[in-house]
Amino acid sequence: MTDHPILEVENLCTTFSRGGTALPAVRDVSFALGKGQVQGLVGESGSGKSVTLRSILGLARHYGEVSGSVRWQGQELTTMSERQLRKIRGREIAMIFQEPMTSLNPLLTVGTQIKETLTAHTDLGRRARRDRAIEMLDHVGIPAAATRLEEYPHQFSGGMRQRVMIAIALAASPKLLLADEPTTALDVTIQAQILDLILKLADEMSMGVVLVTHDLGVVAQTCDTVSVMYAGRVVEQGAVRQVLRTPRHPYTEGLMRSVPQDVPPRTQLYSVPGTPPSLFSLPEGCAFAPRCQAAGPACQTARPTLQDIAPGRQTACFHPLPATQEDAA
Amino acid sequence: MTQTVMKIDDLHLSFPVSRSLLDVVQRKPGKSVNALNGVSLELKQGETLGVVGESGCGKSTLARCIVRLYAPTSGQIHFEDENIFGAAARKDRSYNRRVQMMFQDPYSSLNPRMSTGDILAEALRVHQMRPESEIAARVAELLELVRLPQDAADKLPHEFSGGQRQRIAIARALAVEPEVLIADELVSALDVSVQAQVVNLLLELQDRLNLTILFVAHDLRLVRHVSNRVAVIYLGRIVEIGDSETLFSAPSHPYSQALLSAAPSLDPDDKGAAIQLEGELPSPLNVPSGCPFHVRCRHVTAQCRTVVPVLRVLEGRGEVACHLAEEVNQHA
Repeated sequence: MTDHPILEVENLCTTFSRGGTALPAVRDVSFALGKGQVQGLVGESGSGKSVTLRSILGLARHYGEVSGSVRWQGQELTTMSERQLRKIRGREIAMIFQEPMTSLNPLLTVGTQIKETLTAHTDLGRRARRDRAIEMLDHVGIPAAATRLEEYPHQFSGGMRQRVMIAIALAASPKLLLADEPTTALDVTIQAQILDLILKLADEMSMGVVLVTHDLGVVAQTCDTVSVMYAGRVVEQGAVRQVLRTPRHPYTEGLMRSVPQDVPPRTQLYSVPGTPPSLFSLPEGCAFAPRCQAAGPACQTARPTLQDIAPGRQTACFHPLPATQEDAA
Repeated sequence: MTQTVMKIDDLHLSFPVSRSLLDVVQRKPGKSVNALNGVSLELKQGETLGVVGESGCGKSTLARCIVRLYAPTSGQIHFEDENIFGAAARKDRSYNRRVQMMFQDPYSSLNPRMSTGDILAEALRVHQMRPESEIAARVAELLELVRLPQDAADKLPHEFSGGQRQRIAIARALAVEPEVLIADELVSALDVSVQAQVVNLLLELQDRLNLTILFVAHDLRLVRHVSNRVAVIYLGRIVEIGDSETLFSAPSHPYSQALLSAAPSLDPDDKGAAIQLEGELPSPLNVPSGCPFHVRCRHVTAQCRTVVPVLRVLEGRGEVACHLAEEVNQHA
C-alpha cells in the first residue's frame, strides 16, 4: 500500500521555552503516510499529539522551535518560507480543529468562509465558487445547501458546524487532511456520522489523513496505522490491528486495559498507577518508568529508542511484552 | 427487595427563554426550553443507577433537580417519603447533607483560594459534623480515604492534577457522611488511565460506606461498568430503563440500540455493524409531537407521530417507551 509515501516525518522535535526552561513537547517523532492512508496519533492530554500535527503544517514554529524533517511530496516543509507554506496550506494540506464552536468566524456567513478558501487556492470565478460551495455542503451532508450558505455559524448545531469545517478544509481538494480531535466535542451518534464522512471522502479523493485522538475506539474503527505517544515521544507504532490486539509496550497495554470493555461489571478496573509526568520534570530514563510495572534498573537511567520488532512495527521499550503467534504471522 | 430511598415522580422542568424585542412587537408568545418532560425514577438503597444520553437531553438537569439546585415546574421528588420541595423539607437542611453532588469540571468546582484542608473543614463545620477540636483529625482521615497524601491538606487546588482534584471533590462530598451521591460526569474530563483510578475508588467506597449513586455520564462503556441499572434519556424523557447487563447486551428501544452501536468498538475487525442515526437531537425549544424520537427513528409509523409512548414493561427486558417495542425486538 505504501508504494510512495506522500508524507514523511522524520525525527520531528518541537521545543517550547517557558521562563528559561526548555520544554520538550515533541521528541523524535517519525512516520510515513501513503496515499489514501489513515494514520492515527493517540495519547493522553499533553502527550504532544496536537503539537506534532501543528509542527507538520508549520503552525508551531510561531511559538516553538521545530527541528527534524517533514517531507511533503518530496518538498521539505520545516525550512520552507511562510510565503511558500501558505500556498500549500489549505490547497494541498488542510486541517480541521477540535472545536467547531470557536474555529469558525462568527461574523461571516458559512458561504463566505467556504468561498474564501476557494478564492485563495483556486482560479474559479464568482459563480463557480458559489456552485462549488454548494456542492461541498451537499457533499458533507448538510441539507438545503443553497439556503444554508447564507447562514451564520451560530445557526448551525455542533455536528453541522464540524461538517462545515470539513467542507472548508476539503473545498480545494487537498491531498492530505490533518484532523485534530475532530469528534471529541460531539456526541457518539454524531461522532459516528462525522468519522464515516471523513473516511468516505478520504477514500473518494484518495486523500491521506492524520487523525489525532485520545479515543482508542476511534482509532480501532478508522485508522490503518497508529502511533501511541507518551510524554512527547512515540512509544509504539505499527498497523492498528497488531498494536491494539497485541500491544508490546506496557503503556499501550495499560491504555487498552483501562477501557472497561469485556471485563466483569463492577469489578476493579486495571489502572496505570500515577499520572503522566510534567514536561518540566521529565524522568531521566524512560518517561514511563515511574508508572511501569516491568521497569528495571536500566529504565531509570537510559532512554529506550524506537526499535523495529516486526516488519512495520516499532516499540521503544527495554522490556517489551511477549509477542503472540498472531503477531509473528 | 431492597428499599427505595428516592422516588422521582413525573418531573417536568422548563426554562423560559427571554423574548426578543421583535417577539414582543409581533406579539409572539414566549418560548421555553423543555429540559425535563416527565421523568419518573426510583433510586434503591445501595445501587448505582446510570443515566446516559446525548448532550442536551436533560441528564445534568435531572441531577441538579435532585440536589435542589433547580426547582421543577411540576412533579415531585420524595426522599424517604418526604417531598424535598415541600415547606417542611426546605426548612430542614439535613437533606442537603444526606444527598451530595460531585461536578464534572475539577478545575472550576474547587475554590482556587482555599487549601484542600480548608475545603474539607468548611463542609464539616457547615453541617456541624465534628466538634472544632476533631476537625483536623477528620480531614486527615478523609484524605486517607481517597488516597491523597497527608501533605495535600496544605496545598491549593492548582497544585493537583485533574484526577487528584476529583479525589478532593469526592472527599468533600463524603465529608458530611451522605447516603446518596450524585456524580455528574465525574470522570469525563480525565484521561483514560486516570479515569480508571477514580472509578475504582468510587466503586470501593460505595461498597465500604453503602452509598447509593446516581452516575450521570455519556461514556457508555463506563456506565455499563459501574451501574446496576441504567436509564436512557432522550429529550427529557426516559425511553428505556432496566438492569444494566440486560440493557447493554440487548437494548430494546430503537434509540438505545443506535446509541449503543455508535460507541466505537476497540476491535478493529468489528466494523460496519453500527446502526447509523439520521440527523441530530432536535432542539428542546420545540420537542417533536408524539414520540420525541420519531424524527430519527427507522421504524416510525403514523401512531409515533401523534401519540406519546409511555414506559411499559417488556417481557424479559426492562421498561421501554416505544409503541413498536415488540416488533422492533422480534428479530433481535
